Parts: sequence; C-alpha cells; structure tokens
Amino acid sequence: MANDPNRCAELAESLAEVATGAASGPDRARVLDHLSECDDCRAELERLSRVADEVLLLAPSHEPPAGFESAVLERIAGSDDAGPEGTGPDDGSGAGSDDGHAGGEPADGTRRHWVRGLVLAAAAAVIGLAGAGIVWQTTSDERELAEGYRKTLDIADGQYFSAAPVRDASGEQVGHVFLYQGEPSWVFAVLGDAPAPGVYDVRVATDDWTGDVASCDVEAKTGGAGGTINADIYQVREVRLVAPDTPPLIATLPDRSGE
Amino acid sequence: MSDEALLAGMATGDADAMAGFVRRHQARVYGLALSVVGVPAVAEEVAQEAFVRAWRHAGNYDPRRAQASTWLLTITRNVAIDVVRVRRELATDPVAVAEMMTTAASDGDRVEDCDRVAAALRELPSEQATAVLLSVHFGLTAREIGERQGVPLGTAKTRIRTGLSRLRTMLEVSHGE
Ligand SMILES: [Zn+2]
Repeated sequence: MANDPNRCAELAESLAEVATGAASGPDRARVLDHLSECDDCRAELERLSRVADEVLLLAPSHEPPAGFESAVLERIAGSDDAGPEGTGPDDGSGAGSDDGHAGGEPADGTRRHWVRGLVLAAAAAVIGLAGAGIVWQTTSDERELAEGYRKTLDIADGQYFSAAPVRDASGEQVGHVFLYQGEPSWVFAVLGDAPAPGVYDVRVATDDWTGDVASCDVEAKTGGAGGTINADIYQVREVRLVAPDTPPLIATLPDRSGE
Repeated sequence: MSDEALLAGMATGDADAMAGFVRRHQARVYGLALSVVGVPAVAEEVAQEAFVRAWRHAGNYDPRRAQASTWLLTITRNVAIDVVRVRRELATDPVAVAEMMTTAASDGDRVEDCDRVAAALRELPSEQATAVLLSVHFGLTAREIGERQGVPLGTAKTRIRTGLSRLRTMLEVSHGE
C-alpha cells in the first residue's frame, strides 16, 4: 500500500502518544486510520510501544497491605459469577460496548466449574467496589481496545484486514470503517467529517445479526470508536453510525465471503 | 514456575496459578498504582482490579508481544489512570513523582531491567524524561503535559516524541539489537 511521507511526519508525534497510551481519542483515531495503510508507522509504533512499556518498570515496588492476595482471589470469584463478557452474534445483545473487555474467557467451562465451587458471593466484590466510590469503565476500555487493536494490526500485518468508506445520505465520504480478523475480531469506525457532533452508535450487521459494538463520541467533526465482534469480519455486510436526528452514516463492506 | 506457565494456568481457571501470580507481582503492581494515585486505599483497589483484569484476559496474553510483567503493568497503569481522571483530587503531583522516578537511583526492589531503563532515562534532558513519564505513567496528554511544564502544546509533543525515540535508541543498543 502507498505511504505518504508527509502524513507519516504529521502523525509522528501522535504516534508517540499512542505508544504511551495517552493519546486523545481523535488523535488515536487518526493514527489508527493511517496505520492501516502504512507499514513503516506500524513498525515504528511497535518499537515505541515496547519502549513505553519498559518505562513502566520504573515505578518503585511497594508491598500491598496484608490480605491483598485473598482479596484478589475473592474478587475473581465474584467477577466470574457475572458471566462471560464476550457477546455478539449468538445473543444479539451487541459486542464489547457493555464493558469493553476483549474476550479471553475460556470456552471450555473449566473456570465456570471452578467458580461454582467457591462459596464467596459476587455481592461482596460489588459492594467493595461501590464503597470505594471508584468508577472504572470511563476511558480504559477504549484505551485497552486501541491497544488490542494496535497489536492486532501488527500481528495480522494487514493480511486479514477490510475497510470501507463511511458515507452520508448524499453519498459524501465522511469517514472510514476498519475491520480486523482476529481473536476476537475488531470493528473500528473513524469519522473525519461528521455532519453533526454527538454520540453515534456503531451498529454492525451481518446477514443474520445486528448489534451495536461501540458508541463514537464526535467532537466537532471527528471521532473514532470500535469494539469486538464474534463474527468473521467477512460476514459483515454493513456498518452504520446512528445518532438521533441525523440520517445514518453507512459503510457497505465488499462481499468477500466467496474468497 | 514461569509467568507464562502461571498465565496459562490462569487462562484455564486455575486459582492456585492465580495466587502464585499475585504473590509474585503484587509489589510491583501495587507500587505502580500507588505512584499514580497516591492514596494507599485507592491504590489497593486499583491493584486488585488490575489482577482481576489479568485473570480475565489471561487467555489473550501473548508472550511474543511482551513480558508478563510489562503486560500486567500496562493493565495496572490503565486502571490507575482511569481513577485519577475521575477523581482529580487524588492526583499526587505527577511532575514531582515523575522527577522522583527519574532521579532516584536504583531502589532495593528494582531488577536489572529497570536499572537499564532508569539509566537511559537519566541520559535524557530532564524535561524530556519527565514528559515521557507523565505520558506513560500518568496518561497525561501532550496538552496536559504542556500545561504542567508551562510550555506550548507543540513543545510538549516534541518532548514526548524525542524522549521516547532517544530511549528507544539507547535501549536497543543495550539490548544488543
Ligand atoms: Zn506512515
């Protein structure tokens, strides 16, 4: 795929911030957009990310208070009772937007069996969290998603990649959607010229399933968001970005199921 | 037992593997959480949440991509950043913490890897080292770093990028790559 050296230079600084995990949503979206067509920047991001991750080792170690280990073990017992977090075509409830976790639940039921053997109630963990007044799911889901996506990009090396323009009702291109085949597969929508600010649901449709995978917060005209799907990306027919009072923005994917 | 083996155990729901993994890494995870959020009780919640996520995502861990310790610390950092973003009053003074981390010589608990990174970081101009740490550990955007360092956005962006690129060069040389 063709590289535009000017574009690479323009994005070099944002690329560093994607590597550290601190890039703002729109910056991250622009970088991810570019990475899909630029092997050089993808390789550069990989190298910078490794360095950034090593820098984390600098934090001084500190032993936690007594009882830490058992508190963690209680929490995992509780959290698993909430059920597996992967969703998608099977249940039609939409994938990834609820808690954003990128799957990883073992499919063989081993863990669930183990969980049933535990006497600790899920409620304990939930109350513990609420008591501390901490809200987790604000931004890290999106960041983790982008990190997973960054790695998927690298691993897939563009091989299992599909993309399509997003168009408004008049046929003008206003953004892109990107799909990556992986475990799990990803759908990522980037708007560069949205008709109106607001929150757009990213709605993915295959022949037999439709679900919202993320919501895309558009400030001014730009934004980006994505989520995981349980479908093969080549089954995806269409991605819509849906906001109240705005005609849907639609990306139609090429039919590659026969390949 | 290696981290990889423990994570493989965790991916199949082995609580003993999880216990071993927690014991091995809790000081690092809690230490990182504490350095970002600054309050012990909150740091403990953050550290617990990080391990819960590691447990959930153990099946996705890929040893070709990262060491288990850096993978786990990345998760911890993400959780910690969320907390300070929601609860601004918690924030320690990130600049002070970042400067402390760059200037502190090797801590008793630190391992060799970390000395190498610390040494490389000390080679950087201090404003670049601080910018990198603010970005990596505290998740501050270039705009926020510029505000805290009292420099324009463009300067802050350049500090992060230049600092990170130089670190890469130094660390790749010391890796013998
Ligand atoms: Zn490029």
